[in-house]
Amino acid sequence: MNIPDQWYHATEDPLGLRQLEQIEPQYDGWKDIQSTLQNHQESQRRRRYTGGWLALAASLMLAIGLTVSQQPTSTQLPNAATSVPGLASVSGEDHVSALIGLSQNMEEQVKNLRQESGSMPAESAVYVAELEDLIAQVDSELSLQPDSINLWGQRVNLLLDLAQIYQQQWEIDYGRMASL
Amino acid sequence: MMTGSGFDIDLDEVTLAGARRGDLRACEKIFRKFNTPAYTVAVRICKCHELAQDVTQEAFISTFKRMHQFRGDAPFWGWLRRIIVNHAISALRKLPRHDAVELDDHMAYVNSEEHQMGLAMDLGQALDQLGHEDRAVVWLHDVEGYKHREIAQLFDKTESFSKTRLNRARARLRTLIADSEKESFYETSVNATA
Repeated sequence: MNIPDQWYHATEDPLGLRQLEQIEPQYDGWKDIQSTLQNHQESQRRRRYTGGWLALAASLMLAIGLTVSQQPTSTQLPNAATSVPGLASVSGEDHVSALIGLSQNMEEQVKNLRQESGSMPAESAVYVAELEDLIAQVDSELSLQPDSINLWGQRVNLLLDLAQIYQQQWEIDYGRMASL
Repeated sequence: MMTGSGFDIDLDEVTLAGARRGDLRACEKIFRKFNTPAYTVAVRICKCHELAQDVTQEAFISTFKRMHQFRGDAPFWGWLRRIIVNHAISALRKLPRHDAVELDDHMAYVNSEEHQMGLAMDLGQALDQLGHEDRAVVWLHDVEGYKHREIAQLFDKTESFSKTRLNRARARLRTLIADSEKESFYETSVNATA
């Protein structure tokens, strides 16, 4: 059965609210939006760059750490043939596992700090939301490339930033309480 | 002049792809197309123009930052509208006590020039007299076509919350307009006899 338009509108919008005119904004907010987006894109570029370096640094540290731990002790005969395979055995998988471990630790720390910190100023809250968005973005990229050292590095870096904000807030709160 | 919120605007794939890549010209094109409908919805839900301005801006920023999440399986305008509405509802939640604001709104109308002059309240003014949640529910249901289930999800309440609020809002709007018309008729008659 076809419902007449008139009847349909009377049921869905009996007061005729749809007839109200659109409201024109008094202020053109594009300049503000544009500047925020430019800053966002710039910080993303920086983060990608920093994330890459951090991942590289983490990989290098891991490689060095593993190599040192596999070096022969002073009682053993120094043999070039034993130390070189030690370095070669450090695979990309090991780097990723180490970064995943670091990421899990950081996540736990952030969780604890979040519980301990009180309310924060709007500016910090916006920054926290932005960092959480970026982490979600990295997570969605990680679901496609779970073995990417670069992405895990970015994640650790973002969690470090997040932890820093909570830590600062906690210090402010603690200072305030101490002064009472 | 367009009526309702006028959100259902088609967007071409090239602009959409540009915005996904972060091209600011494409983002500006989207902003220009949807700014008025977005602002209209924000004002209708929040009532306060300054708050609606902030809501619209934040929602556009959030939209452009999340463009990669738009899958394209539904029209873009629906996705954008959802973001605007979500931002507006969460802005409402941050407002101070609702009843105090409603009383202020009522007093503002009683003291307004239109009321003093005995002019009847129009539908837009009557809508402004409603409490935050009633106004949002009636607008979302009657104009934007939201279902009770969707409204309930937005407010984190049950469907019966949405149904009750809708009935209450419609009844209050009818009363406000009828009372205002009666009052206006009475004042016109008094002036005519004097």
